[in-house]
Amino acid sequence: MLTLYLPIVIYFTISLLVCFGIMGASRVIGRPKRQQSVAKLQPYESGIVPEVQLGPKFSIKFYLVAMLFLIFDVEAVSFYPWAVLMRQLRLYGLAEMGLFILVLGIGYAYVWKRGGFQWDR
Amino acid sequence: MTLPTVDFLVVSALLFAIGAVGVMVRKNPLIMFMAIELMWNAVNLSLVAFARQFQAISGHIFVFVVVVAAAAEVAIGLIIIVLVFRHRDQADVDTLNAMKG
Amino acid sequence: MANLIAILAGVLCLFMGVVVISAKNPMHAVIALVANFVGLGVLFLLLHAEFLAVIEVIVYAGAVMVLFLFVVALLMAGTRAPQESRGKNLPGQVPLALAVTGVFAALVVFALAVRTVLVAPPPSTTDFGSITNFGRALFTTYLLPFELTALVLLAAVIGVVFLARER
Repeated sequence: MLTLYLPIVIYFTISLLVCFGIMGASRVIGRPKRQQSVAKLQPYESGIVPEVQLGPKFSIKFYLVAMLFLIFDVEAVSFYPWAVLMRQLRLYGLAEMGLFILVLGIGYAYVWKRGGFQWDR
Repeated sequence: MTLPTVDFLVVSALLFAIGAVGVMVRKNPLIMFMAIELMWNAVNLSLVAFARQFQAISGHIFVFVVVVAAAAEVAIGLIIIVLVFRHRDQADVDTLNAMKG
Repeated sequence: MANLIAILAGVLCLFMGVVVISAKNPMHAVIALVANFVGLGVLFLLLHAEFLAVIEVIVYAGAVMVLFLFVVALLMAGTRAPQESRGKNLPGQVPLALAVTGVFAALVVFALAVRTVLVAPPPSTTDFGSITNFGRALFTTYLLPFELTALVLLAAVIGVVFLARER
C-alpha cells in the first residue's frame, strides 16, 4: 500500500530540492549582505535619515481572502469522498450534499452581501 | 507485521505535552495558538491509532469533525488575535490587562 | 521498512514540535509546524487512515498554515521585534512543573515497557480507512455530524466576515 505513495514522496523531495536550490543559488550568486552599502538598504526619505523603521502596510483584506480560502477548502475536501461514492449513494447522496451546500451557501451569500469578495471597498 | 499502537500513543502524548508546555511558557499569542494546534493534532493521532486498534471507522469520522472544528477555530481565533494586537507594539499576552480588576 | 518510516516520521514530528514552541521568530515556527503536519500525515498513512492523511496535508499544512503565515505577516510586518517580556514565576511553579513532568515521564516509560505485553492490533482489512470506506461511514451512519460540520463552517464564515469589517 505504501509503495502507492512513492510518486508523492518523489514529488515532495523534488519541490524541497527546488526550494533549497533557489535559496542556495541566490546566496551563492548574490552579493553577501555585508558588501551592500547601508544607504542602499534604507528607505528613501529625500535625504533625511529615517528615524523609525516602519514595516510595510499589510491590509487585513489579505487575511479575509486567506480565511475564505480555508473555509471553502475544508468544504471542498468533503466533496472527495462524496465524489467517489456518488454512484452508489444515488439520490440520497445528492440530497445530503445538497443540504450541505445549502447551509454553506447561506454563508456564501452573507459574505457576498457584506462585500467580502470585493477588493476595493 | 503491524506497528504497535502504544508507540503512536507515546508520540501523541509527547506531542500533546510539547503543545501544553508551549501554551504555558510562551507569551507570543501566535506561537501559543500554534501550540494549541499541536495539541489538536496529538489528540487526532491518538484517535487514529485507537481507530486502527479497534478497527472502528468512527474514530476517523471524529478526526474529520475535529479538523473542521479546528479550521473554524483557527479562522475565528486568528482574527481576534489580529484585531487585539494590530495596534500594539508588542505581541505579548501579558500586556492584555484591560479587564484587570 | 514501515518501522523505519514510522520512527523517522515520529522523530520529525517531535523535533518540529519542539522547534515550534522554542522559535524566536514566529515565521520559523510556522514552517516547523508545516513539517510537523507532514510528519503526522505520514503517521496517519501508516495507521491506514489514507483520507485523513490527505486532509492533514491539504487542510492543515495547506490552508491553516497559509492563514498563520498571513497573520504573522500582518502582525510582525517590518522590523518591529516580536518581543516577549520576562515575567516572574508563580509561587511553587518550578517544583509543580517538575512533579508533573516526573509523573508524565513515568507514564511514558511505563507505556514503552509494556508495549510488547499489550494486545497487538488486528491486521487491517484492505479497505479499512480508504476513502470509500470512510465516505460510506460519513454519508450513511454519521450523516448528522457531517451536516453539522456545515453549520460550524457557516458560523466561522459569518463570524470572521462580521469581525473583519472595516470600522
